[in-house]
Amino acid sequence: MSRKLSKYFFNFVCLLVYIFLLAPIVVILLSSLTTTEYIVFPPEGLTLRWYTELIEHPEFMQSFTLSIIVAFGTAIISTAIGTLASLAVVRRQFKGKTAIVQLVGSPLLIPSVVFGVALLQFYSWIGLAASPLALILGHIILTVPFVMRLVVASLVGFDRSIEQAALNLGAGPMKVFFQITLPIIKSGVIAGAIFAFITSFDDLTVALFIVSTDVVTLPVRIYTYMQYQYDPIITSVSSIMILFTVVLMLVIERVLGVGKVFSSKN
Amino acid sequence: MSYLSLENVVKTFNKTEVVKKLSLDIQKGELVSFLGPSGCGKTTTLNMIAGFLEVDGGKIEVDGKPVHLLPPNKREMGMVFQNYALFPHMTVFDNVAYGLKLRKVPKNEINKRVLEALEMVRLAGYEKRYPKELSGGQQQRVSLARALVIKPKVLLLDEPLSNLDAKLRQEMREEIVDIQKQVGITTIFVTHDQEEALAISDRIAVMYEGRIEQVDDPASIYNHPKTDFVSQFIGEVNHIQGKVLETYENKKCKLHFFGNEQIVSVPSVKNSEVHFFIRPEKIQIALAESNERNEAFQTKVERKMFLGAKTRYILKVHDRHLIADISNTVLNPTEIKEGNSVYTYWNPEDLLPSRMAR
Repeated sequence: MSRKLSKYFFNFVCLLVYIFLLAPIVVILLSSLTTTEYIVFPPEGLTLRWYTELIEHPEFMQSFTLSIIVAFGTAIISTAIGTLASLAVVRRQFKGKTAIVQLVGSPLLIPSVVFGVALLQFYSWIGLAASPLALILGHIILTVPFVMRLVVASLVGFDRSIEQAALNLGAGPMKVFFQITLPIIKSGVIAGAIFAFITSFDDLTVALFIVSTDVVTLPVRIYTYMQYQYDPIITSVSSIMILFTVVLMLVIERVLGVGKVFSSKN
Repeated sequence: MSYLSLENVVKTFNKTEVVKKLSLDIQKGELVSFLGPSGCGKTTTLNMIAGFLEVDGGKIEVDGKPVHLLPPNKREMGMVFQNYALFPHMTVFDNVAYGLKLRKVPKNEINKRVLEALEMVRLAGYEKRYPKELSGGQQQRVSLARALVIKPKVLLLDEPLSNLDAKLRQEMREEIVDIQKQVGITTIFVTHDQEEALAISDRIAVMYEGRIEQVDDPASIYNHPKTDFVSQFIGEVNHIQGKVLETYENKKCKLHFFGNEQIVSVPSVKNSEVHFFIRPEKIQIALAESNERNEAFQTKVERKMFLGAKTRYILKVHDRHLIADISNTVLNPTEIKEGNSVYTYWNPEDLLPSRMAR
């Protein structure tokens, strides 16, 4: 009897946590449908006006595209670097290994404001102007530690005799990496890429220091827009960002079967 | 002409030689076991043959051609690993087909050969399963099929049975020998399990501290060990020391031990100490003295352990212990009680001479 009761209690707590986590998203989605000129929750009336009005603000669309380009670039490059670095760190012994691991991980410890200032200084010193490349480079430094955490975790306990078996059957080192190693650590690599993508797509603090008038990422655009106006366009843009992320997750899940990979690990 | 030959192979880790100028010739179709305690260099040697470790000296030849400088993927060897090492993201079929695909074998031939290989290891019908859906024994059979399907020049087995439970281990080892003989493939079998090695090998290379102590057929290894290590590592032994009372021609001498005298055939110097080993199953005991056993000596039964087919007697004599294993069909264990005095004897030819200088 008491076991049943504690189970109900457990489910109830879970429900509360879910509500707490999802409530802001629901608030944003719903308030983007309001007919009022200001943001209000619950929405008064229902309209898609704030979505159609976006057409009159092409700068949001530009920023959205830029953010996606930067996030993709960051995800691809930092996943490649992070995966290779993880292999080196887990499998090789070399001088200064601990120092390198600490150095690569340090962006996790530095406040991103400080990092943004540092990047601004550094870029002006080397003469790198605000550009998608400048953003990507900054975000790579920011995201490699995440990728490494995840890939290193998937490499721990990796049975190297599986690779030896492939070598033994006649596969060269490149084939072994792409046909054996990579598929086995796939879940960690994909998770790392997703993390890198979202971190970059989401980043406001660092981007604030790098952007210029023509190179503005979506979070920076939303932030600056809100400083002057506070109309429901913000909520419609935010809703699109949320939907985009959800769709992206679903596509990755369908195409690469992340869930399947995760569950098949045990 | 030997098919696989190791010549003065050396491996050094951190300035320690773990394999010391090891030489061995293996005939085509032969099954040779590397047997030894952990750290004896058996797996290191196997990894050098497979190419996962570079040799630091000496050479390895297969069919007259040196292979020790080739990378592992060019050596045409099939290896079966202790932990199976199946590709977890591929089906049984794809696992076995992997080596054939790399060799660009036409698709219908891959199909045919994979199915044949799976049939050989009695796993027909399991093609679509994933490794994690198979038991340990089944996984090891897939691993064997995967290694054999590419028709390698040499089959390398690295403790393939040690992760299986006792009963399955016995079945699998018979199966492996059957397949090995059927295919006629030159095979190296690394194990630390002496019973396994004795049961399946054409020859056993007993290894210790990076050296081969003795290479011989199982019966010779057991009955005529050439070094003290082999005597003590294979099977069990009682250690006996005695004093040489007299020496004769034809390399015999009269020996004094446990207050008893015995003539044994071993070259020795008068008054010197000599050491012997004797296996527990070579010791006989009887309650009554008889003429045939005039070299028997008295011992006291300190403990008696019933072990099914045989009984183990711990005998005490002159503050030393002897272990005797006696078949229950030869001597009914109920006849002998702990504390009894018994006559103990053996055939002097069963004494294994020791070089021990203790």
